[in-house]
Amino acid sequence: MISAKTSMKTSLLGAALASLMLTVPAVAEEIHVYNWSDYIDTSLLTKFQKETGIKVVYDTFDSNEVLETKLLAGSTGYDVVVPSASFLARQIKAGVFQKLDKSKLPNLKNVWPEIAKQVALYDPGNQYAVNYMWGTTGIGYNIDKVKEVLGPNAPVNSWSLVFDPANMKKLQKCGVHFLDAPTEMIPAALNYIGENPDSKDATVIKKAEPVLQAVRPYVRKFHSSEYINALANGEICVAIGWSGDVLMARDRAAEAKNGVKIAYSIPKEGAVMWFDEMAIPADAPNPSGALKFINFMLDAKNAAAATNYVNYANGNLASQKYIDKGILADTAIYPDAKTVKKLYITTPYNAKIQKLVTRIWTRVKTGN
Amino acid sequence: MNLRRLALIAVPYGWLLLLFLVPFGIVLKISLSDQALAIPPYTPTFDLAGGWAGIKSFFTGLDLENFTYLTTDNLYWKAYLSSVWIATLSTLLTLLAGYPIAYAMARARPEWRPTLMMLVILPFWTSFLIRIYAWIGILGQTGYLNQLLLWSGLISKPLVILNTPVAVYIGIIYAYLPFMVLPIYATLEKLDSDLLEAAEDLGCSRFSAFWLVTFPLSRPGVIAGCFLVFIPVVGEFVIPSLLGGSRTLMIGKVLWDEFFSNRDWPTASAVAVVLLLILIVPIILFQRHQQRQQELDA
Amino acid sequence: MSRRFSWFNATSLTLGFVFLYLPITILVIYSFNSSKLVTVWAGFSTKWYGVLFRDQAYLDAAVITLKVALVSSTLATILGTMAAWVLVRAGRFRGRTLFSGMIYAPLVVPDVITGLSLLLLFIALGLNRGIGTIILAHATFSMCYVSVVVSSRLVSFDQSLEEAALDLGCSPFDAFRSVTLPIIAPAVVSGWLLSFTLSLDDLVISTFASGPSATTLPMKIYSQVRLGLNPEINALSTILISLVTIGVIASSLISKRASVRRQRQEQQALAQS
Repeated sequence: MISAKTSMKTSLLGAALASLMLTVPAVAEEIHVYNWSDYIDTSLLTKFQKETGIKVVYDTFDSNEVLETKLLAGSTGYDVVVPSASFLARQIKAGVFQKLDKSKLPNLKNVWPEIAKQVALYDPGNQYAVNYMWGTTGIGYNIDKVKEVLGPNAPVNSWSLVFDPANMKKLQKCGVHFLDAPTEMIPAALNYIGENPDSKDATVIKKAEPVLQAVRPYVRKFHSSEYINALANGEICVAIGWSGDVLMARDRAAEAKNGVKIAYSIPKEGAVMWFDEMAIPADAPNPSGALKFINFMLDAKNAAAATNYVNYANGNLASQKYIDKGILADTAIYPDAKTVKKLYITTPYNAKIQKLVTRIWTRVKTGN
Repeated sequence: MNLRRLALIAVPYGWLLLLFLVPFGIVLKISLSDQALAIPPYTPTFDLAGGWAGIKSFFTGLDLENFTYLTTDNLYWKAYLSSVWIATLSTLLTLLAGYPIAYAMARARPEWRPTLMMLVILPFWTSFLIRIYAWIGILGQTGYLNQLLLWSGLISKPLVILNTPVAVYIGIIYAYLPFMVLPIYATLEKLDSDLLEAAEDLGCSRFSAFWLVTFPLSRPGVIAGCFLVFIPVVGEFVIPSLLGGSRTLMIGKVLWDEFFSNRDWPTASAVAVVLLLILIVPIILFQRHQQRQQELDA
Repeated sequence: MSRRFSWFNATSLTLGFVFLYLPITILVIYSFNSSKLVTVWAGFSTKWYGVLFRDQAYLDAAVITLKVALVSSTLATILGTMAAWVLVRAGRFRGRTLFSGMIYAPLVVPDVITGLSLLLLFIALGLNRGIGTIILAHATFSMCYVSVVVSSRLVSFDQSLEEAALDLGCSPFDAFRSVTLPIIAPAVVSGWLLSFTLSLDDLVISTFASGPSATTLPMKIYSQVRLGLNPEINALSTILISLVTIGVIASSLISKRASVRRQRQEQQALAQS
């Protein structure tokens, strides 16, 4: 009797649940995008939803390392992620991403072949990723203060500004920040002394250490983001930094009307280029939606809208006719042909050399 | 009664087993593995599908290599030592700063005590990063402190505080103060002022009344507060790296570099396992000593 | 007692609060900064409050953070108080050393490793990562803080009080509620406050334990660091601080009035007798 009652109850409950499930409207298609923060014009997301009916859930991260850890742990739940190319290369080898189905990406016709060629050094054949934005690592400086300390002929267009101890000794008064990123700083030092910045040879890499040690005493801080504010409010006068960040410092100082004038220079010896790439994780829940999103972002007008918002160069040649003239003409964002020739890229180290690089960097920073 | 006791033990025990010990087992396992370029980025991984042979090769794949590696480079023990030193000094300073606050809170009118408690914790309900930036604004060369001191004529040249050890200690004391104040307050709160008056009536000076009566009563709170400051500070590195410049060597930073720069999860795990052993063994010994003391008293 | 509130106590409280609130004052002032820079003053403006209220992502993150903090700190307080009782009162049992080790160990293990190990656990268990997993993670490390604070209070008061209550026929639960709990209350409240604070400020463990679309406020704030913080977070902090301050002042005024009324009633009762 009792069992009959309970079984009836459960069947009723089952029926109720089933009807409940049936009446629930079909869940709208979603994709999860994981990108750097403030790195997209959010009206593009609503536009995408309007065009395709797919809802974009947009999350942001603060460093390549965080993204990489999540990817390597697996099952992130994201459909599109945007790592930097030097990280992407290793992640591809670890089997993190799936190959792009290029038949679903008709807008690939818009890409800038020059940029695609460079990125192919990380992602052979451009099989896994499409460029979103790219930039350089150079020198940001306070125009007036540097002039005041080093005179009107200050070598602001050369790495000797930060790697020559004589200059640094004078600059320490007004403050210098270095990036806390060994994989950027060691190639820059190697490039300065005329070695191959992308060298994977331990004996060559070790040559960077004395260069960095010689200027170490004059560096106020090694940090990868604080220099933006520090430059803008005049606390420091020189920083090795990323192009977009220095430009942001410039704009913020102008906005605050505090009399600080910031400029960005790509040194004549050359500078490293970096790329942020859109890719689809191997275990993405909705890869077809992800492809639609990437194709959408490859549209010339959409790519131009993204660049106009974030002030970074993109890898989309067709978009250039829609980009604001001021951005396109700014050689700090779109360097001229002569400067582009001097730019170089660096590929990832293997585990052993990476340890050496980190170790050298720790020694430079802490003296241990 | 016994069933109830069992349940009371089982709930927190089970919780910690599942959400601390099992995950820590995973960490221990990683520390015995080797770095690899895969998902997850170490080898061997446990694969039941491989049957006996798989399980066997899993166990033979584990070794202590990462731990012996830690002894080959003096960076690691230097970092452990320097972290423990910074944590010790910070704990002492926080105790010196926190005890008087906790004491004054406990001596305030009872109806004001909850308010004071809230006031101690409230600053920490903002954002950590913003608080640190505020300190950078205060301590910098052109910061408010220097402006004030210059204006008052006490100094003629701005003091360099930011990016020195002084700034690190100020930052740590600031961040950990409530973890010292609240436990001490919690033990002082019940303090009977009659006892103190009695002590003073018996001819004790105020200070010796404090030293002989109050302080011993607050000892458990002091110990708890010191634990809650010392232990996390050993692994701390965000405050030193933001306020102290880059010279300060901390084990937390070394571990962070191993993990994020070198992507070497096994070595990072080994660093954490060693850190745990260094700290937990003395703590457990201390606890057992306390327990025995307590049982002797009873 | 107030008679003994000496100048020494007054000074240490004043100095302590000046130290605690110095950065907070700056934070509040800069929430009214018209510039985008968090550290350069460019004139008075309330625009960041407007920006904040229009920024849905920010508000969502704030709501998630508060939810996580409230639930996890309450859970942590219950679990931590139980754990403290086990440590101090349960006597010897098999596995006691392991237990007391597990109370301190989570304080020792650096955040990165705690976060990673929980992430791997959640993946292995096939748990959907989101608010729930963040709460589990926060409750676990916070309960250790609670149990350290509560056990320090438990060891310093006499067990005989509880025993007396039991002898008088109280059920163990009643004895706990009417004798033990009032005595350890300051420690329990302290523990809850500390847990709430830890949860509110945690970045690393939340980052690992969360899944898509569960972004807490610290995650949101740190993701903006590379592209520069703006005073939105100052505005949000200012609002939170003001709300809590108003609440605290109101409740202390109410409790003060209540105590005055109680005193008056007692005096009247005395006068009548």
